[in-house]
Amino acid sequence: MTIDRIADRVRAAERLNAADALDLYRRAPTALLGQLADIVRARKHPDPVVTYIIDRNVNYTNVCVAKCNFCAFYRPVGSPEGYVLGFDELFRKIDETIAVGGVQLLLQGGHNPDLPLTWYEDLFRAIKERYPSFKLHALSPPEVIHLSRLSQLPVPAVIDRLIAAGLDSIPGGGAEILVDRVRALLHCDGKATANEWLGVMRDAHRAGLRTTATMMYGTVETDEERLEHLLRLRALQDETGGFTAFITWSYQPDHTELAGHEATGIEYLRTLAVARIVLDNFDNVQASWVTQGGKVGQLSLAYGANDMGSVMIEENVVRAAGASYCMDEVEIVRNIEDAGFLAKRRDMQYRILGDPMFREREVPRMLELATARADGDHSTPAELRLYPARSGAGKKMRAGEILPS
Amino acid sequence: MNIAAPTNIIDLGMLADEARRQRHGTRTTFVRVADVASTPGAALAWSPAAGELRIVGTPSSRSAAVERVREVAAGARGVPVSAFSLADLEQLAARESATLRSILEELRAAGLDLVAEAPFDQLRDPRGSIEEVNISGLALARLTIHQLPSAEVPSLLKEVADLQRRVAVVRAFAPLPRVLNSALPTTGYDDVKRVALARLIVENVPSIQVDWARYGPKLAQVALTVGADDVDGVSAEDETTEGRRRAPLEEIRRNIRAAGQEPVERNGRFEPLVR
Ligand code: SF4
Repeated sequence: MTIDRIADRVRAAERLNAADALDLYRRAPTALLGQLADIVRARKHPDPVVTYIIDRNVNYTNVCVAKCNFCAFYRPVGSPEGYVLGFDELFRKIDETIAVGGVQLLLQGGHNPDLPLTWYEDLFRAIKERYPSFKLHALSPPEVIHLSRLSQLPVPAVIDRLIAAGLDSIPGGGAEILVDRVRALLHCDGKATANEWLGVMRDAHRAGLRTTATMMYGTVETDEERLEHLLRLRALQDETGGFTAFITWSYQPDHTELAGHEATGIEYLRTLAVARIVLDNFDNVQASWVTQGGKVGQLSLAYGANDMGSVMIEENVVRAAGASYCMDEVEIVRNIEDAGFLAKRRDMQYRILGDPMFREREVPRMLELATARADGDHSTPAELRLYPARSGAGKKMRAGEILPS
Repeated sequence: MNIAAPTNIIDLGMLADEARRQRHGTRTTFVRVADVASTPGAALAWSPAAGELRIVGTPSSRSAAVERVREVAAGARGVPVSAFSLADLEQLAARESATLRSILEELRAAGLDLVAEAPFDQLRDPRGSIEEVNISGLALARLTIHQLPSAEVPSLLKEVADLQRRVAVVRAFAPLPRVLNSALPTTGYDDVKRVALARLIVENVPSIQVDWARYGPKLAQVALTVGADDVDGVSAEDETTEGRRRAPLEEIRRNIRAAGQEPVERNGRFEPLVR
């Protein structure tokens, strides 16, 4: 089929199959992809509104046994650079988040064998007790699988326990590319196969949780595999309707074992636009300014995105791999309005919460994203001793052989 | 062209891209530049990969400027030498009660090939000074914009086109401002509109240029799809050194190709380089 014919099908709101989507992705001019993605966006969002959320992106531990070769963030068990945040540190971060109008934590971390399910349950309960209306968007599917393996409980049971403790929604991290050939090459098939990732999301949706979906492209996958990823998400969304949004970003290669180079800005805009067109059953598509920078992040709004994501406040994972962009609420709103849209704050369910917070009350400017911990802080939270460790290093530490500094 | 036409950024970009393709096809040129300090006696080391040696900084005096050009030109081995801002040279002439022409001629005699930039919004006499560059036997590497509020873009671009109608020697125009305000940076939409409008309004300047180092690969690459056809400021250092994320030559070529274009390396005189 010609590109013009495929474009006509998109204009007529017809669903694209894999072959048509691949043709469009490979051969359509970038500007045409933008035009088509904008048509789909406007169909879903007739009002010229672009949303964003004020939340904090916290990584509770960087200790991880999964060892994905594209990851610059993790540290192996026993590493002196490994950390686990304490409950008090997390409360402080929540206080800071609330101070700038934040409504939730995006809480993700490594697969730390020394943090049992009860640690998460106690943390979630403690947070909900102190901050009853504060939301927990936490634990991507591979983390849920890790907890299932650690606790020897099936995934639905783990999800039920986490919900009972206070989990509100699940972020779509760890999807990378949902094709097992790719996952094997990235050494991330062990943490979750494509079916396992989708299975956790299916279970979460059945349990009443809403989740997001993501795609990290630009490592070893082919164009066909990127589209297979999108089509698998589309199929699950047809089945459950549980995804609120889709977010894509390019692999960040610095300091990773896999190395290589980052896909370009144009490739990002093309991928974003095709995702918007193919994922015709997703309401929301986010711009990834944290990997693309503010400028291409803003241009995403012309290529299908209707949401600028989060102000983040803190970021550790992408920074470890070489990208360090920062946008606070003022800057996000300026970019949205400069692109001709109305800026509205939202929650994880994409319910509108109101106009920009900084117009309602004074909010301190933020010119740099915070990190999980200050450099050189290797302290160990006191409450960790209450939880059984699985690793040798963890057991020694908890027995007091390695004293917290 | 009717500059009031498209308000949609994609439509505007498409129009500008069409104008660029009519003139340049899919060919995108780039130049690897080695920056050299302007102080006489300062280190004289640059990568052999450089296609332009650019003396950067404000000259402290006429004699210092001439001396530095002589030093750099002596080691240039045929690589074009560019230096200084034309606005700084205008001021130098006023300070030293000399004519701009005499300074330019002396720099030319010392081995200068090109005046590195003419910041349109900073020049006292854009037409007169650019003509002096030409009469002195020098070339102008690029016409630039120092700083520019968004609201004034279309009228300023028309002035640039008018200037070129009179002088006819501007080979490249870089429409994105040289001074970046980190507290209030231009947005992606701003930059795309400026580049696209520059291609559409300044029809009589052959190349619309974007600065790789200043604007970064992502925005610079997008600029190539909305009217720009030339990339300035690619580092001549070809090793992946600390602080540099990628080897610049590989990165620029990859970005140009990923934008659907053919990279052609050039030198400061816009001559294609075969390496
Ligand atoms: S991507 Fe996540 S699971 Fe993989 S190594 Fe990094 S922290 Fe661990």
